Amino acid sequence: MNRNDSAPAVQARGLTKEYRRDDFVVTALDKVDLDIPDKAFFCLMGPSGSGKSTLLHLIAGIDKPTSGEIRVLGEDIASLAEKTMASWRSEKVGYVFQTFNLIPVLNALENVELPLLLTGLSKQERRRNARTALEIVGLGDRLDHYPRQLSGGQEQRVAIARAFVTDPRIILADEPTGDLDADSARDVLEILAALNGNHGKTIVMVTHDPRAAEYANMRRYLEKGSLQNAATG
Amino acid sequence: MLKLISLTLKNLTRNRRRTVLTVLSVAVSLFLLGVLLSLYTAFYHRQAPDAQALRLVTRHKVSLTQEMPLYYGSRIAAIDGVENVIVLNWFGGTYKDNRPENMFPRFAAEPDKIFDIYREFKVPPEQLEAFKRDRQGIAIGSMVAERVGLELGDRITLKGDIYPFDPELVVRAIFEGPDDFNSFFHLDYLEEALPEGRQGHAGTFTIRLRSTDDAARVGREVDEMFRNAPAPTKTETEAAFALSFVEQLGNIKVFLMSIAGAVVFTIMLVSANTMAMTVRERTAEIGVLKTLGFRAGPLLAMILGEALLIALAGGMLGSALAFGVTQAMANVMVAFFAGFTMPLWGVPVCLAAALAIGVGSALVPAVLAVRTDIVSALRHTG
Repeated sequence: MNRNDSAPAVQARGLTKEYRRDDFVVTALDKVDLDIPDKAFFCLMGPSGSGKSTLLHLIAGIDKPTSGEIRVLGEDIASLAEKTMASWRSEKVGYVFQTFNLIPVLNALENVELPLLLTGLSKQERRRNARTALEIVGLGDRLDHYPRQLSGGQEQRVAIARAFVTDPRIILADEPTGDLDADSARDVLEILAALNGNHGKTIVMVTHDPRAAEYANMRRYLEKGSLQNAATG
Repeated sequence: MLKLISLTLKNLTRNRRRTVLTVLSVAVSLFLLGVLLSLYTAFYHRQAPDAQALRLVTRHKVSLTQEMPLYYGSRIAAIDGVENVIVLNWFGGTYKDNRPENMFPRFAAEPDKIFDIYREFKVPPEQLEAFKRDRQGIAIGSMVAERVGLELGDRITLKGDIYPFDPELVVRAIFEGPDDFNSFFHLDYLEEALPEGRQGHAGTFTIRLRSTDDAARVGREVDEMFRNAPAPTKTETEAAFALSFVEQLGNIKVFLMSIAGAVVFTIMLVSANTMAMTVRERTAEIGVLKTLGFRAGPLLAMILGEALLIALAGGMLGSALAFGVTQAMANVMVAFFAGFTMPLWGVPVCLAAALAIGVGSALVPAVLAVRTDIVSALRHTG
């Protein structure tokens, strides 16, 4: 086990993010302190505009904090250069979007294979891993289907397969059930729970759906950029 | 980057109609560029045929409409290196009417010399003799015979316009050769029919040299000989003389290059608009790819690659069209378009222009797209 394995998955101290809108400064996150243990299923809740997605963006390293410190898997990601950050993200983080964001001209297998293009794997290995990932999410029979040929729930499952196909330690999910019906949402949440429970992935999920939050074993609330009470379950 | 080639190719199928239309717009512009290059080459870089390289044309220094005394011919013939000299007087005139099918070049010339000066024209000996013998004979090229519908023995009457004379002629010879859309009748017949004040003049002299090495020197000597005469001369190669007709329209070189530049630039703007639209629509997707860990460089290459593929496809199509069309025009209308074929170097020029269109149209939108931060890109709804 290396140094990073023993560190919390996410550690934030005094994390602040401000946006400038013309002459106004909007504070999206206000001095947030947060610890997410490794292998947790962490749920971040709160109303729209509370800063949930902003916090997720900072954890994913696709945005930089205005001030404060954020360590993800022991790495001070705010200090990484853009190129290093891209490599780090491709290795360590999987990301699931609310609107799936699959590439429409690629079929399910090719979409899942996409992050593997950044690895040194051969084409055969890439294809094998992508196929396995799709089988894990129950879409082994939909390899050749294009996004337009899949239902919303199936698209999101492809997106989840794309998120974990590189075997990252942490999977970030931004409102993963926001665009889904109840049945599809349940399927997606069960897959995330399985990735956490069976494969030891740290899941950080943003949602405002209390039913979705029940799958998590740790929940925090954001209100106007500030973290509220801690809750586990 | 190589691994993204598959995605680049698939992106081309994303909006097939737009891809096809963009390819066609590039193809049409590069077809025009190819045709313009062909014209440029035909005018300025055509390799003169061996027979033509041995010929010089002397005309009045001021203008083709000014005439020179006929006796210049014998003085030119005396210059070392000159094998033969012929007077060519453009008769013009009208045959039947002014419809295009009845129009063909008509010259009054010395019958003994025509087929010695223009050795590429082949005429049966008996027809040549008949032509020489008949003062009212006319020798016509096979293309004239075919186009106007004339045969040996046909009588034709030309209505003079430059000259106050309507020659009545009999087709005595039909010659064949490259660019044989031409006709000649006896200079003597014309001279005798003209009023005294208009006799004894030559429109041009065509000189046949013993060697192409003598061309520059003989040209200089001819012009020097008549420098202080009442009718000073200008002597140039036959190819340059032919080009001078085109140059009367203006500075063709600048004209052609300006049109070519405008065509390429305009289509670059059209393509740039299309590429900007394409890239804008895909901004969120670029954000997704960056989230997955793709760096700006490969993404930039992917977008540029897509634009380059479209432009290259258009470039190849346009070049092929230009090559085929100019070749067909040269074959079908040899009298007007001889030598008018797209040069081989035109293909890389067209493809280079296509590359310039591809890079020029996509570079700015691509750079702007990959520079957009991930969060803004993901929020893009374009």
